[in-house]
Amino acid sequence: MTDPRVRNYAELLVDRCVEVQPGWQVLITAGVLARPLVEEVQRAIARRGAYALTRVVFEVAEVPTRELVWALEAPEELLAELPAIERQTAEQIDAHIAIIAPENTRAGSRLSPERQALLSRSRAPIIKRYLSHELAWVGCDFPCPALAQDAGMSLAAFEDFLYGACLLDWEEEGRRMRRIADRFDAAEEVRIVGAETDVRLSLTGRQGRVDAGRSNMPGGEIFYSPVEDSAEGVVTFSEYPACAGGFEVEGVCLRFEGGRVVEASARTNEDFLLRMLDTDAGARGLGELGIGCNPRITRHLRNTLFDEKIYGTVHLAVGASFPDLGGRNESSVHWDMVKELRGDGEIHLDGELVQRDGEWVGSLA
Amino acid sequence: MPDARVKEYARLLVEDCVGVQAGWQVLILAQALARPLLDEVVGEIARRGAYPLTRVAFGGFAGDEWLKEAPEELLRTASPIEAATRSQADCMIVIRAPENTREGADIPAGRRALYQSAMRPSMRAFSSDEKPWVGCQYPTQALAQDAGMTLAEFEEFLYGAVLVDWPALHARLQRIADRLAAGSELRIVGADTDLRMCLDGRRIDVDAGAGNMPGGEIYTSPIEDSVEGIISFSEYPASLAGHEVGGVRLRFEGGRIVEATAETDEAFLLATLDADEGARRLGEVGIGCNPGIQRHTRNTLFDEKIEGTVHVAIGFGFPQLGGANESAIHWDMVKDLRNGGRLELDGEVIQANGGWVGFDG
Repeated sequence: MTDPRVRNYAELLVDRCVEVQPGWQVLITAGVLARPLVEEVQRAIARRGAYALTRVVFEVAEVPTRELVWALEAPEELLAELPAIERQTAEQIDAHIAIIAPENTRAGSRLSPERQALLSRSRAPIIKRYLSHELAWVGCDFPCPALAQDAGMSLAAFEDFLYGACLLDWEEEGRRMRRIADRFDAAEEVRIVGAETDVRLSLTGRQGRVDAGRSNMPGGEIFYSPVEDSAEGVVTFSEYPACAGGFEVEGVCLRFEGGRVVEASARTNEDFLLRMLDTDAGARGLGELGIGCNPRITRHLRNTLFDEKIYGTVHLAVGASFPDLGGRNESSVHWDMVKELRGDGEIHLDGELVQRDGEWVGSLA
Repeated sequence: MPDARVKEYARLLVEDCVGVQAGWQVLILAQALARPLLDEVVGEIARRGAYPLTRVAFGGFAGDEWLKEAPEELLRTASPIEAATRSQADCMIVIRAPENTREGADIPAGRRALYQSAMRPSMRAFSSDEKPWVGCQYPTQALAQDAGMTLAEFEEFLYGAVLVDWPALHARLQRIADRLAAGSELRIVGADTDLRMCLDGRRIDVDAGAGNMPGGEIYTSPIEDSVEGIISFSEYPASLAGHEVGGVRLRFEGGRIVEATAETDEAFLLATLDADEGARRLGEVGIGCNPGIQRHTRNTLFDEKIEGTVHVAIGFGFPQLGGANESAIHWDMVKDLRNGGRLELDGEVIQANGGWVGFDG
């Protein structure tokens, strides 16, 4: 029998996350292991009277569907451009449900950083529609052995964890996060202090977004695009590796001046880090400050989708910011890095301590 | 170790069958079990500097779950994106690799026909052969099972039928096609079978290494109202969309099927004939000529090329050959002529017991 949680998950994605409307063309991209969820999503889309455009992939080098076997051998000049049909598709879809279910989370590491960077560049013409939420989209995972393995869990334990983090009362979560977001919205300066970390940035004139189960599943974060030239100071991601494109970079340390990364180092894969930062002019800008708020996510899983929502962490993303949140930084990169604040960390808003060691205090207690 | 035949198969498809050129957008419709072949095909496309647009499905390419439940008005109207993809692609490779050849049998034929009709306009450049395309299969347990073989045997069989000297076979088939083109009336005689049809003015095409892999047939669309007589598919079942209909017997008058019976699943046969007006007329007559295919494997792509058989298809004909019949259906049914059957052209026997007579076929 199919796990009933799969059907609930599919309905959550279709009904709440992207709110499929009759006549819509809904793109589904999915790893081949996500089959049970793909079939339930197709069924839910059919019932809402919309088209399901399904793209099942094996080893994917870059979203939406650039195959790794192709990216390894294609001439470099083809990598940086999407074929016309794929670009048109991205321009015309009404919604996109992206389901990650890799067989091996490191498969992409076969691809050279140069090729990886070229592929990222191919997304430039379509990334705006996503970042501005001109189209409804959701990114999510389907529990599979590789994700469980990275999370250090059995598949059954990972399923429980994933569905626990996703099948929440999102209305209630939304209300709780809204209260925190209101306080941040009213603030000008955010200061984050932690291990080898003291960074300040401005939110003046910027409004945050509460992700209560819309474009990410699981949701559970409040995020901003900080004022572009405001970030000053150092942040060290000493607790967790930063993951992108099948690479894991440990001990990333970034120093910001005037809103840009002026110094970057890492304990491992530093070369990859530096190359990503040099992808384009915007890759050294700060595109996002996020605050993790999902009460069911308490462990780091080497899986950004979950890790950035760990209750008691913040994350910073280098690269593209969110135009609909006032962000003006453009880049084909958007790389979230998670900073642990539980145990040793503080968030100050205009000088007031609002979070200590991962717990809300003062006016947000 | 990877099977070297898979690499050779991929090269054949990409280079010889569709001739991928640099910069092309290559639409690939494939079922998930075809992955080893798909990976090789995508690699070939990469090396030729082209883009693969890969559409992997578990069952049918529309998504069976969607096809079962979508409102009918959606089935009637193709998704603009899916239609544009098909009409703009430079070539198409379709790879079937079913997990279960009966998958999809629970989808009402009418729903499938609506979807196919809606997609047809976007496929016109392929169905008329203006743009290169190839349909093929990758060996799976389900195909082997239907063929009554082990997977290893079926692999041998499949690669034996596809990895052949296509230019040489093409030359041989062209001689037969030329002989047919010189005649007018084709008569098929066999067990409980005597069917006549007129081929006047219709182009006779040779499929030997292009649109179908395996190829190995000579075919055309007969004059629609000329078909007269009876044909009984007593040797092999007729398969379509997960259904297998045994002992189909069709009687034609003035080109139209006026009587149809079957020993099994007759209801499906009759429902299909009633799908639309064109479903009761012949869209194709073909002669199987692939020497690598001697056995029936309950797999139309192969069976219609069995050397020494003929097949007729009810439903749509080929406009590029002069065919005028329109329908959402195209159902090939194979008739064995190797045991006492014969083909006559304008009264002259040209094939007897499956062997060509009187000329170098």
